[in-house]
Amino acid sequence: MDTGDYYSKEKKLGEGTFAIVYLGKKRPSNKINDGLPEQVAIKEIKLDLMKKQSEDVNKGDVTGIDISAIREIKYLQELRQHDNIIKLFDVYTDTTNSINLVLEFLPMDLEKLIKKKTIIFNSMDLKLIVLQMLRGVNHLHRLSIMHRDLKPANLLIGNDGMIKIADFGLARIYDDGGINAHSNMTNNVVTRWYKAPELLLGSKNYDFKIDIWSLGLIIIELLIRVPYLPGKDDADQLTLMFKVMGTPTEKDWPHVKALPNYNTNLYMYPKPNRQEWRKRFVAISDNFLDLLINMLEMSPKSRWNVIQCLESEYIREYPRPSDPMDLVALMNE
Amino acid sequence: MSTIKPAPKTSPLYSNQRITDDDIYRNSSQFTKWSFTKDGLQKSRENIAESTKDRYTTKLQDFLSNEENTKELTDDETQALKYEFNLGISATEQLQIVTLYTQKVQAFCTKLKLPTEVTATAMSFFKKFYISFSVLDLHPKNLIFTCIFLACKSENHFISADTFASKVKQAKESILDGEFMLLQSLKFSLMVHHVFKPLHGFYLDIQSVLSGKVDKNYLGTVYENSKKRLMNSYLTDALYHFSPPHITLSSLLMEDEQLMMKYLELKFLGFDPNTPIDKLNDSQKISKEMYDKLLNSINLCKEELQKNMIPNRESAWKIDARIHYYSDPMTFIKRYRAQKAKETENSTEPDAKRQKV
Repeated sequence: MDTGDYYSKEKKLGEGTFAIVYLGKKRPSNKINDGLPEQVAIKEIKLDLMKKQSEDVNKGDVTGIDISAIREIKYLQELRQHDNIIKLFDVYTDTTNSINLVLEFLPMDLEKLIKKKTIIFNSMDLKLIVLQMLRGVNHLHRLSIMHRDLKPANLLIGNDGMIKIADFGLARIYDDGGINAHSNMTNNVVTRWYKAPELLLGSKNYDFKIDIWSLGLIIIELLIRVPYLPGKDDADQLTLMFKVMGTPTEKDWPHVKALPNYNTNLYMYPKPNRQEWRKRFVAISDNFLDLLINMLEMSPKSRWNVIQCLESEYIREYPRPSDPMDLVALMNE
Repeated sequence: MSTIKPAPKTSPLYSNQRITDDDIYRNSSQFTKWSFTKDGLQKSRENIAESTKDRYTTKLQDFLSNEENTKELTDDETQALKYEFNLGISATEQLQIVTLYTQKVQAFCTKLKLPTEVTATAMSFFKKFYISFSVLDLHPKNLIFTCIFLACKSENHFISADTFASKVKQAKESILDGEFMLLQSLKFSLMVHHVFKPLHGFYLDIQSVLSGKVDKNYLGTVYENSKKRLMNSYLTDALYHFSPPHITLSSLLMEDEQLMMKYLELKFLGFDPNTPIDKLNDSQKISKEMYDKLLNSINLCKEELQKNMIPNRESAWKIDARIHYYSDPMTFIKRYRAQKAKETENSTEPDAKRQKV
């Protein structure tokens, strides 16, 4: 018996192009001795919908099972053991035309939390969130997986206050250049506001550091409660980023000029120094500021990797992170 | 405002539990879903063969209970049909025919100039499908392109269905229709941990461990040969019984035993492996124990890699024909009659035949 028999689809929680997410409730007829929770989220990927859509539109290619569904299934299957990544309990099919992913039910996400202005995070709450995000990303990177779409809406929060990375529809394995060097990856990844400079500059040879950039911006968003770099389009995003973080030069970032979208007519905004950063974020500790500056280093080579972030002084220094249950209390206020 | 109090020490935040590399492999779907004991795997295959046989029996009964079919059959023909259908497709035969077609998957991938890992993934998908399905469910020739197409998607090697279909000269629908069943047979797990990364790792490590003792060009040749050999490991059951680094080591050992023994000795022992056990200190004893265990695994794996399940042409033809007979028993009768006629012809006109030759 698969988990499909344990749960009934109760109500629709959301709908995407090829998937519908339902709240799944444990059927009373079933024994509760299997350790599965009372509530789950069931993501139903409709295959006939995909086919129909492609036929109707009659443009663009039919690709069979959607690539983002394939990625989601592929990566979630390998990521079941980490506290900071959404748990996939099972995959089952009810008809021949749909795939159901039984996932942890996580009612909150970071985007909602950030928008709820009545909530005020203290430094311990912030550290709790930062630490958990870094741990989740560390696990991904250790398994050579790049998430490629980190943003507040994809960081879910459980009823136990644990942050969980979700949505692996854009994830992929990074090949470290050994035997099958991938120098031809699509740069059309990551939601615009969280896109790393190398992506905006058109690099097809990026790595795990793009996730670090996104995380850096998410952390700032936690502090200021609005997106830090809300570009209107990709060109605007690039200009805005240069204004705020400085236009990269060959000196800071060797070979940056060779990137496809690097324009020699670019206005050279100065790189903000530490004092400037300090003026922008007055309330955080020196070590926290260091972490931010290093996560948002324009050059991917100089940008910290996830291990450096986790081992940073900010994580080591006091105060300790708050109790995840405090985050729950905060959410319920 | 939240209360000012840090997370309690019992919180998972303070867990000292570290996830080791070994944990990661043990939690991979390759290990949890696709590793079997030899007996377990054999049993799954026997079960498939058993149900296949039942289907032949049912088919035969249906066929024989229809007078339309039987009225023209001689006793001889009925007996021959019964004999043929009674054979079913044995576990070994299914494995043979599947291995043969896995080789075809490899050949097509080469023809399409697909990267090594896409090829290996396609081969591994193909073999896995027939652990839960019978060749009667889907003829292997109809799964080849579905496997390659799904492997391309899973390994991030984009080809649109239209382009792919025209490249392999197949109807797009025939490729896409099987995709769901394939995904299901794969237990919805698509990650394949390949042997090529460990190969590259060992290639680098051998250079550092045997620094100055091995010629780099020669090692390059060993690397290339091993890569070819490792591609063939996807035709065997090795990946179900051993981890990728084990398979890689076995393969390297088959390439140059002397070199690899030297490497393993320096890497894992650092002393003469023939040293009597009572001369070893405690940590050396542990090393020796692990070294012996490793060698044992590698040698077992070597046996697996040396197995060749590819059937000869005649047996392949026979198995293929029997799969065909299942969908239409009359084709067997027709072939049987044709063969009889040929035999009669041969026995009555031996001279004419000889002249032709």
